[in-house]
Amino acid sequence: MIFPDVNWIGILPELILALGAAAILLIDVQWAPRPRNLARFTFGLLLAAGGAALIQRFWLEGLPTGELSRTRPFAGMVVVDPYSVFARLVLVVVSLLGLGAAWRFIESLGRRAAEALTLFLLATAGFSLMAASPHLVMIFLGLEIGSISLYVLAGFGRRDARSEESALKYFLLGSFASAIFIYGVALLFAGTGSLDLFDQRRFLADNILVRPAVLLIGLALVVVGMAFKVTAAPFHGWAPDVYEGAPAGAVGFMAAAAKVGGFAALTRILVTAFADFADDWAVVVGGIAVLSMLVGSVLALVQDDLRRLLAYSGVAHAGFILTGLVAGLAGTPGVWFYLAVYSVQLVGAFAVVAAVSGAGSSGSPFARYEGLARRQPLLAMALTVLLLGMAGIPLTSGFVAKFGVFQEAWRAGFGWLVLVAVVASVVAFFLYLRVIVAMYMAEPVGEEVAVPSLPIRTVLTVAMAITVVFGVLPAPLLSLAADALPF
Amino acid sequence: MLTALIVIPVVGAILVALLPRRRIELVLPVGVGMSLIPLAVSGFLFAAFETGEAGFQFVDQAVWYEPWGISWSLGVDGISLPLVVLTTLLVPIALAASTSISHRLKEFVAYTLALEAGLIGVFLALDLFLFFVFFEAILVPMYFIIGIWGGERRVYAAIKFFLYTAFGSALLLAAIIGLAILNSQQTGAPSFAFTDLANLDLSVGTERLLFAAFALAFAIKVPLFPFHTWLPDAHVEAPTAGSVLLAGVLLKLGTYGLLRFNLGLFPQASVDLVPVLAVLAVVGIIYGALVAIVQPDLKKLVAYSSVSHLGFIVLGTFALTSGGLAGGVVQNINHGVTTGALFLLVGMIYDRRHTKQIADFGGLAQVMPIYSGIFLFTAFASIGLPGLNGFVGEFMVLVGSFPTLPVYVIVAAGGVVLAAVYLLWAYERTFTGPLDKPENEKLVDLSAREVALLAPLVVLMVLLGLYPRILLDRVEPSTEIVLDRIEAITTFSVPEPGRAMDIFATESGGE
Repeated sequence: MIFPDVNWIGILPELILALGAAAILLIDVQWAPRPRNLARFTFGLLLAAGGAALIQRFWLEGLPTGELSRTRPFAGMVVVDPYSVFARLVLVVVSLLGLGAAWRFIESLGRRAAEALTLFLLATAGFSLMAASPHLVMIFLGLEIGSISLYVLAGFGRRDARSEESALKYFLLGSFASAIFIYGVALLFAGTGSLDLFDQRRFLADNILVRPAVLLIGLALVVVGMAFKVTAAPFHGWAPDVYEGAPAGAVGFMAAAAKVGGFAALTRILVTAFADFADDWAVVVGGIAVLSMLVGSVLALVQDDLRRLLAYSGVAHAGFILTGLVAGLAGTPGVWFYLAVYSVQLVGAFAVVAAVSGAGSSGSPFARYEGLARRQPLLAMALTVLLLGMAGIPLTSGFVAKFGVFQEAWRAGFGWLVLVAVVASVVAFFLYLRVIVAMYMAEPVGEEVAVPSLPIRTVLTVAMAITVVFGVLPAPLLSLAADALPF
Repeated sequence: MLTALIVIPVVGAILVALLPRRRIELVLPVGVGMSLIPLAVSGFLFAAFETGEAGFQFVDQAVWYEPWGISWSLGVDGISLPLVVLTTLLVPIALAASTSISHRLKEFVAYTLALEAGLIGVFLALDLFLFFVFFEAILVPMYFIIGIWGGERRVYAAIKFFLYTAFGSALLLAAIIGLAILNSQQTGAPSFAFTDLANLDLSVGTERLLFAAFALAFAIKVPLFPFHTWLPDAHVEAPTAGSVLLAGVLLKLGTYGLLRFNLGLFPQASVDLVPVLAVLAVVGIIYGALVAIVQPDLKKLVAYSSVSHLGFIVLGTFALTSGGLAGGVVQNINHGVTTGALFLLVGMIYDRRHTKQIADFGGLAQVMPIYSGIFLFTAFASIGLPGLNGFVGEFMVLVGSFPTLPVYVIVAAGGVVLAAVYLLWAYERTFTGPLDKPENEKLVDLSAREVALLAPLVVLMVLLGLYPRILLDRVEPSTEIVLDRIEAITTFSVPEPGRAMDIFATESGGE
């Protein structure tokens, strides 16, 4: 048998995740182990995938210059660059935390646990491929692998009508977004004659387009499709309902992983292939950013449910991240730092939701959080730290993140965008304060809140530590993100 | 050294938070003990401070994130040193006065110590990024202090406080980023250091915009009329310790910022925009005093008196004369001492009667002679009776501002008269006359502990009133170089009587 000369390192993390997912299904059929043990196995797989990403990083550093072609194995379908390695590490951390938050939920699933864990791993693998590919078709495949796994996960609370509604809504709107994206990809192919981002860049550098309309429409559709995935306004309509209905244990992972994958692909497409068209797309991205920040912050004010609030605040955060993206390549490190710390905060906040309202539940009205500081101080403290982080209060990682994207956007000449952003972040203060008021300044009412389980406590401790440590001493993560540039 | 000043309260806060729940009686002593260490350190700094030196002393520096040009850079000069000492003095007093708090005491002490760390950090920071971090971070502990341990409308007051100041600081953040980007465009190296940013070459329009953003943030903090509406709510609802620190130190962040950053970074715009700030200051002086007269609530009265008193500081700062600037800095300290004492006094009577309404009192001097004596003394200090500290600051501001802003000074002097009206009238209604409310007859006078809390403040009122040189020797060199810079960069020149004026030189028998 002829064994092809393939650079397996290029897809090592995804390989581990996908083979692991298949293995879980087989193991489940053969031995029917307890859900807890399957979850432990998944935990190990994720750690291995993280280790694989680190191996990629060291392999990359040891690579002699001039052998850059080896960083693009599988006929250029994936690329190993600091950008993809960083994305994989962020995704692995998000998945590990998400698994901890979902631990109880998975235990409660019984025989269906294997399916949930498989979907979990496949979603991670999909988004990670999406972040690691310079080829539009591969990006689309990664997007679909990840998204379809998430649609099913959203509907896992099978007896709950709201969970089913959430899954159906997510599926319909998500497919619609994917269709828009792939149509945009087709138009980009028509405009440049290639689906490979590097080829497209070369083509655009060598040729002057007399009539770039097809290309620009394609680019716009690609941006819109990704804006759906990262819940940027005005394409955010599905997020509140989906977050509200999906099982509490899985929401944080769903929200964070989709955002990381979406932003990773969008940023790569815009800064790799279309950097010369920045004048065209930066204004559009800036416009979406303004709309997202304002719509997200203002609509979040009137929500009575913590999940809907987090969904709308996620819209605002998409806007803040896009504020960094308008600066193009210079803004990429800021985008990555923001994504890394925000996704951790998001998973952490939903871990609190899972602990307060039960892992499989839907809906989290504010009333459940009144007086939480008296009942479960750890939960209240964790949610406070994470929300202050999202609000961007100094000494939390959220502040450094906001500062980073604002700085780059201003430097790129988008001072007006920064002004809108700082005003929007003041509005956002108010909505996070509402939750904190309910937890600390109201008397407890209604039923007791159970003591959080060990996995939840671990998740919260890690999320709080990341938020505070990278708020006080962000230099290590900042320099890591500063290197995370695409080739 | 300076880093320790910030770290010790943080360690104290963590220590208090870790105390076992069963040993709740230890919380307050540990908290006060941990806040006495910074006091000792700052006392040492005050003594070791090189008088006659204008620049920053005891500088601590470390790189925070090189590519952004941000560093952990602390230092103290004559403008910030007195404020640091004031902060470290008021925190132990405020904590020790909080014995009436029984509910969630541990968190309260931890938040107060965290607040102290933030406040000291604001005054020490020499890097604008670092300054902003502390400036904004103190909102969180203060928000909790008002929102958890405050009065009936505490949640409303806490959110109002947070959002007002957060709005101001959001624009401040944008301005700081803009300034740093201009700096990196001009020098090629990113930096947030105060000394680097002060040397930028700004166009008139840019400078005014940036000045406006900085000034708005600080005007909300001071608070200058018409941005003052959060203050009465926050003060009335805050617990005593919160009020003391709010009035004593937090408001000074605004006046400190105006002097340090607005005058320091934007000399031309400062000179051009003097009328705007002077008008707002004078309106605040008169408006605050008039509103204070009619307040039925003692705490609210003191809150509005702060609006009036801080107007003097802003007026002195923007008079751009030696006397005005130095007087403003001195008045910062005086106001912190006297208003801190007034809030403590109001808190003490509130603990006994659970009301702050003037109408509920009357004739208290008969049952509480010591209390009414100290109250009257503090009121005199606040009004500015010669020989007490308030006189020194207000006199310096008024005399110092006259050469450049004569009309404003004449109007502002009316504020001094009005201060006598509102404080003495309130004194008269509360302490003199017949003891006609039966609830008031059983009131007990101050305990030895309460007198001991007030004693340091009373001593300071006399000391600073009789011997202001102890402050002025340290303050004046630093305020003089602010003026030197303004004169060097702009066409503005301080009129002869306003320059190098040393109003209190003879009082100490000095040169």
